[in-house]
Amino acid sequence: MKKMLIGAIASMTMFATTAFADYTFVVPQKPGGGTAVWTAIVAGELEKFLDGEKIKIQHIPGGRSLLGFNKWHQGLQDNEKTVMVSNGGNALKYLLDPAAEYNYGEYTSIGMMNLTIVMGRKIGASENNIRIAADPARLPEVMAMMMLVCGPDGVADHYNKCYNDNVTWVKGMQQGAGRLAYIRGELNHTRENPAAYKKHVAKDEGSEVWMTHGLLAADGSHSDDPNHPGKQFEMLYEARWGSAPSGAFYDGYKLSKSFRDGMQKALWIKKDSPDAAKLIAALTEMSKNPESIKAIAKKVGNYDWAIGADGDNNRDNILSFTTESALKAMLQFQTDSLGYESIYKENIVND
Amino acid sequence: MLESYAIVLILGCIYGFFIGLVPVAGATVGLIAIYGFIGYFTDPYMLVVFTTAIVVTSSIGDSFAAVVMNIPGAGSAAATMVDGFPMTRRGESARALSAAISTSWVNGVFWGIAVFFFLPYYTKIVLYFGSIEMFTFLVFAMTCVVFISSKYFVRGALALVGGITVGLIGMNPDDGVYRMMNFIPTIVDGELEWTKWLYLADGVNMIPVMAGVLAFPELLGALRTQVETVKINADNIKAQLIQGIKDSWKYKIDGARGGLIGAFVGLVPGIGGGIADWFAYSQTVAASSNSKDEIPVGKGNVRGVIGCEGANNAQKATSYVPTILFGIPGASFEVIIMGLFMYVGLELGTIDVLQDEKFFDVLLSSYLWSLFIILPVAYGFIRYAVYITNIPFKYYFWPILASLVYSSTQQNMFEEYIVLGVCMIAGLIMKHLKFSRISFLIGFILSARIEASWIQFNTFGYGWQDIVFSPLPCLFAVLSIAALIWGLFYNKARIDFV
Repeated sequence: MKKMLIGAIASMTMFATTAFADYTFVVPQKPGGGTAVWTAIVAGELEKFLDGEKIKIQHIPGGRSLLGFNKWHQGLQDNEKTVMVSNGGNALKYLLDPAAEYNYGEYTSIGMMNLTIVMGRKIGASENNIRIAADPARLPEVMAMMMLVCGPDGVADHYNKCYNDNVTWVKGMQQGAGRLAYIRGELNHTRENPAAYKKHVAKDEGSEVWMTHGLLAADGSHSDDPNHPGKQFEMLYEARWGSAPSGAFYDGYKLSKSFRDGMQKALWIKKDSPDAAKLIAALTEMSKNPESIKAIAKKVGNYDWAIGADGDNNRDNILSFTTESALKAMLQFQTDSLGYESIYKENIVND
Repeated sequence: MLESYAIVLILGCIYGFFIGLVPVAGATVGLIAIYGFIGYFTDPYMLVVFTTAIVVTSSIGDSFAAVVMNIPGAGSAAATMVDGFPMTRRGESARALSAAISTSWVNGVFWGIAVFFFLPYYTKIVLYFGSIEMFTFLVFAMTCVVFISSKYFVRGALALVGGITVGLIGMNPDDGVYRMMNFIPTIVDGELEWTKWLYLADGVNMIPVMAGVLAFPELLGALRTQVETVKINADNIKAQLIQGIKDSWKYKIDGARGGLIGAFVGLVPGIGGGIADWFAYSQTVAASSNSKDEIPVGKGNVRGVIGCEGANNAQKATSYVPTILFGIPGASFEVIIMGLFMYVGLELGTIDVLQDEKFFDVLLSSYLWSLFIILPVAYGFIRYAVYITNIPFKYYFWPILASLVYSSTQQNMFEEYIVLGVCMIAGLIMKHLKFSRISFLIGFILSARIEASWIQFNTFGYGWQDIVFSPLPCLFAVLSIAALIWGLFYNKARIDFV
């Protein structure tokens, strides 16, 4: 009897919490993760522009962010007030992981934050002895490094050899451990988002910015990051090798960085949801409010928003990069060089 | 803001002292139980204040159950009951409690200042800990866990391996392949196949493991335990309190020795308060062997209480050092602290925290304030605190169990209930068969670090010569061998802590 009573109270508490919320934001991580922290801040600010409506955050961790997105795709989205919060990891998994069942093309974008990644190194560190902390999500960084170090050729085998000759890919280092190893000097190259770079690397006088990926523009091109002018990969490549980067390997790089960074943090709702317009309007207001933007920037950095139709447009641009040659080049490098098991997903190819 | 911190500090002190008074609960269970309310801590430093207050005050509170009921408060006060309970039978419970509180408190202040005041300076040590240093440090920690913290070496080693194995479930960092996740029975072409349980791809969640393997069997054990309750002697409480303080001063060497032992044990990852208390107690027994005391240590001598209580808070304070600097828990409750802090964005052992001056300021001040708040409370409410301890455990069992379940199933996903259920069963079996659950948990928590350091050891091309000819790795290798030999042949303070 006692057990039943306790169970009933616990269940009622949970249902009551859900019942009082107007919107539910599904986060594919447990509390404390990067996307979870971002969501808590954005949802808190967004609520201010929703005319008293409340947002509940539902964490569905598991599968390294896969499980939550899969569950939302499979049925949670049918509740039209349920919004999915996806991250850059979800985007790369969409390209390479057969367990990813979701499809970005099927949803309406509420909004997304676009960011770039800054690659730094110890001053004087040799480009032929790159020691960097490993992570499957760092694929675009290593692809950029290999193109810049080994120049044009186009075929993945060339860059595979370049990788084997020049890179020590140190696996098992989480982000925090990697930062410490870089400060200690065990690693001589690093990569961070702009806010983290400023906090952890920029004040080290022995470090310098090597390059950035640039920012995804509305027309699908990438522009120089104004915070680190002249350091965009494409610019450095052209200056060193005399021509703009091109070929399947470059297309693979562009595909991976656009998916990961262009949709680094994104809010999705079921297509034709009647609540989309209200959420988009609220997000637009929030993005124009200096206090809200300041609060978000303080915690996660100041990035551009693509809201509503702009978000859909961004998504469509990014999806258009998914060509067979680009996907295969990216996949081959991920598997042969970095050593991570991945699968070619024919069904997501555009051409 | 300061007012909010003060309120949280006081609430933490009240909750911590209360949970310390509840038999077998203590800091670990008390901390697990607050997972369910983590969402209320919007300011991460408030959580630092709250958890520090719990750790400090529960350490003071858990002496009560040992002295008054002859059962350990939270495992870490087990040695206290050997002499504390006979004193209670003689009508000297207030004296025993006073001696326990004063000794624990003084050592807490001394070692707390030594640790928390200088902790920001210790962070420089981290810069000397590269992959090879971390690898040998982990080997040392595992050697201690198996050969010092339990008398069943083989079972301890198996439990450690079991914990590491469970901790490795999920994605292999080396090749990105999911491993040991095939738990879903599926019929494919008429044949049974085991397919991947995607829920486990992030690894097994820590909280249900801690709640199921460590806390649940203890709760069940306490529910079944027939306790002998002796009412506290209400006469001369004030005189006994003063006598207890005098005893602490008279036997200050025993208390200081206990503090030193506790401090050392706290610095070694994975060895809990139990071993510190028993080791300190055994040294007090040895030191008092030639004394002419009317009542020998072990039969109700206050020196026995003082000797082991010296280790109590000292161990708690120093166990923060490996936890904060390296992200390697110095004791089982530190595992929970790490997890809680992670939820609010404070990842221990990382540069973010090590460069966070506010974090260290808050930690130091909340630790010291908690000690100063709890001292008059513990002295002043001895008689009433005992009433809380004397409430039959069956009344605590269900609320504590409910809070453990609630904390372990935060997302209300059926997968979480399954994992918790499996962990509860595993915990009961391990306890019954005397497989060290502490070894299992340390293996589980350190598994990722162990695997990562091994991968990095190979990636950087280190070999045995790098261990022998580098100062820190060589030191840890020597300490590991010493711990192995001492644990096998010379450790007289072995405890049956499973």
